[in-house]
Amino acid sequence: MGEVILTMKGIDKSFPGVHALDHVDLEVRKGEVHALMGENGAGKSTLMKVLTGIYKKDSGTITYEGKEVEFHNTREAQDAGVVIVHQELNMLGHLTVAQNIFIGREFKKGIRIDDKKMNEEARKLFDRMHIDIDPTETMSKLTVGKQQMCEIAKAISHEAKVIIFDEPSAALTEAEIEELFKIIRDLRAQGMGIVYISHRMDEIKVITDRVTVMRDGSYVGTLITKDCTKDDIINMMVGRVIYEDPKTKNMTPPGAPVVLKVDHLNAGKMVQDVSFELHKGEVLGFSGLMGAGRTETMRALFGADPIDSGDIYVNGQKVTIKSPQDAVKHGIGYLSEDRKRYGIVVQKSVAENTTMADLDEFSNGPFINKKKEKEVAEKFVDSLATKTPSVDQLVVNLSGGNQQKVVIAKWLTRNCDILIFDEPTRGIDVGAKNEIYKLMNQLAAEGKAIIMVSSEMTEILRMSDRIVVMCEGKKTGELDISEATQENIMNMATREIS
Amino acid sequence: MESIKQNPLVKKVGFNRIVLCIVLLLMYGLFCALTGGDFFGARRILSALNYAYFLGFLSLAVTFVIATGGIDFSIGPVMFCCALMAGFCFTMYGMPMPAALLISLVVGLAFGIFNGYLVAYWDVPSFITSMASMNIAKGLASVFTKTQSVSWPQSTQEGGWFRKLVTIEDIPMGLIILLAIAVICAIVLNQTKMGRYILSLGSNKEAVRLSGVNVKKWEMSAYIVCGLLVGIAAIFFVGAYSTVQPGYGDQYNNEAIAGCVMGGTSMAGGLASISGTIIGVFIISLLQEGIMALGLDKNLQLIITGIIVIVAVFADVVARRRKN
Repeated sequence: MGEVILTMKGIDKSFPGVHALDHVDLEVRKGEVHALMGENGAGKSTLMKVLTGIYKKDSGTITYEGKEVEFHNTREAQDAGVVIVHQELNMLGHLTVAQNIFIGREFKKGIRIDDKKMNEEARKLFDRMHIDIDPTETMSKLTVGKQQMCEIAKAISHEAKVIIFDEPSAALTEAEIEELFKIIRDLRAQGMGIVYISHRMDEIKVITDRVTVMRDGSYVGTLITKDCTKDDIINMMVGRVIYEDPKTKNMTPPGAPVVLKVDHLNAGKMVQDVSFELHKGEVLGFSGLMGAGRTETMRALFGADPIDSGDIYVNGQKVTIKSPQDAVKHGIGYLSEDRKRYGIVVQKSVAENTTMADLDEFSNGPFINKKKEKEVAEKFVDSLATKTPSVDQLVVNLSGGNQQKVVIAKWLTRNCDILIFDEPTRGIDVGAKNEIYKLMNQLAAEGKAIIMVSSEMTEILRMSDRIVVMCEGKKTGELDISEATQENIMNMATREIS
Repeated sequence: MESIKQNPLVKKVGFNRIVLCIVLLLMYGLFCALTGGDFFGARRILSALNYAYFLGFLSLAVTFVIATGGIDFSIGPVMFCCALMAGFCFTMYGMPMPAALLISLVVGLAFGIFNGYLVAYWDVPSFITSMASMNIAKGLASVFTKTQSVSWPQSTQEGGWFRKLVTIEDIPMGLIILLAIAVICAIVLNQTKMGRYILSLGSNKEAVRLSGVNVKKWEMSAYIVCGLLVGIAAIFFVGAYSTVQPGYGDQYNNEAIAGCVMGGTSMAGGLASISGTIIGVFIISLLQEGIMALGLDKNLQLIITGIIVIVAVFADVVARRRKN
């Protein structure tokens, strides 16, 4: 490790209602790989966005190469040598490798683009990285791993001194990760400062020199990687005080029947061999880090995405679910994590959204019985305490919590016995959150079976009777609430599968 | 301005529709003044109405498709295809008039099913689908009629009774039928499951699908309604203008879409107004008649409807941007 190249000190950033970064520090030296770790929402990405000028910090200082700087956009940061390699690749598939690397700053010969020079320059970059990619190849023909290499080459071509890798290994195979690490070690040897964001604990141990841990938007600490254990890091990641009382014991009535059984479900890369059971009156929490495959599992089970293989049993009967229609027919309701896109029709009224899943019940032949529709919608507005001037109000005018209640009302109107809540309180303020929790508990007590996907550890511990943990498309553990702790959940959520 | 918009009566009728009615009356007044009273007579009004009938059905037709967030550029040529094929069956194959009228409806319906199936089940963009079926309609009609124009019988000729659908001795039957069907369309759109799903999926298809609704079926149904209405439009076209030539019909696409979007139907889908569409159609028909009465270049109509479409769509874009 060499001298310090980048120091971020006391970085503070608030968004309306959220204190996203609370005086966070980060120091990167030349020739080191510095891991940045933390749970979902810990503030890692926000910190990097502040660094590269996507967000403007509220306070704090950034010192780069001995001078205080503030980049106003990624272009400025790039020009100064601070470059980010995104998790999602920003590549144009139909252009060549070289055209992608030099996009926006093409070499020109008069008014014509000088492809020959770009190919030569790209080849030089690849030589420097000791990898073999043909610059004239069409980008979409490369594997994801190779595309990532191109993205890195692009970063280096900016004369980068600090490179940020945002979960670079998420889409790579073992062999590709090996190659990636070789390149990273090379870059380190050339004296670059590297920030490496990843959830994979084992990679952190292999590739990084130091690790900085963040939690809930604050800086927790920095450790020398080789002197610490996985448990040390996990403890720093989760060591928060839980304010709301966590559930201490399973509230499901003993001997409650299994209403949903999922057996060896496979659907694409994100759902691999997932099996679990759900009991009547139970809240089953699904925990895991971003990209663990929880939402994908739920969407597959609900018929929103195609299933490759596996069986689903509802009340002991094997069922075929090929579309949401089938799922709803079997009494499964799904409340998406993205309400606005998948949950509600914002330009329609509360009443219209309430009956969306069960319009047949409100129709005489082809005609809708609007009186009955209104009555039922009003009933649910009352019982769920939805705040709306009337059931004719367009849903777009309601707050997030009240929109969520409209979605809940939709599935209750349909009388679904299995409810899947995917991130039920995302984007909902604290008061409304508690109301949603109360509602879920009440529904469970009434005998509904609830699956709750949540990225918030406190939410998982507060609501679940049992917890399924997923990691990279696989189920990595199942816990009763009485034996669950933040530490053992996080341990399962970050387990490297070999 | 805001206080006018909040007035309960204005809210019920719709601000936009009130403005359109005022525009309609002002246009009428203007044409009366410019033509020195010629426009005031029943002759001009009946002539404008003749235009409004077929255009009204076309515009109602496309309203259903636009409500789903789609578009149909085949309505004009399909209307001609219906009129040509049905007319050819009558004049050349000697089919009875009722059968000919039925053929018109069936051809329209067939195109509706074709477009709807491709859009809903094969996910072909409606823009492309309708462009393709526009050409298919033109080609099919030309092949079927061997590129000859077809004249439907005059009222005194055999089979000419069908013109009574349009007028019976100066009583505008067409207007009564158009308004009656418009009322049915409004009921379908606002009071039935079909209409509810068409509008909802136009607004957010994925959310409706995830509510367990068969969105493909309902999306296709909008195109089927559209096709049927186009078949009806064809009957009223020949009822007023008698002769159809193969290879034409596209000019009515724009006018039908203009009537629809002017009336407050959003090109983005999810929002549709039948009464607005009808008023929009009256405005365009009056404009057409006015331009003829003033002896202006017919092409002026093309330019004006083009501008109307842009202005109406832009107003919708602005309104939605403000809402967000």
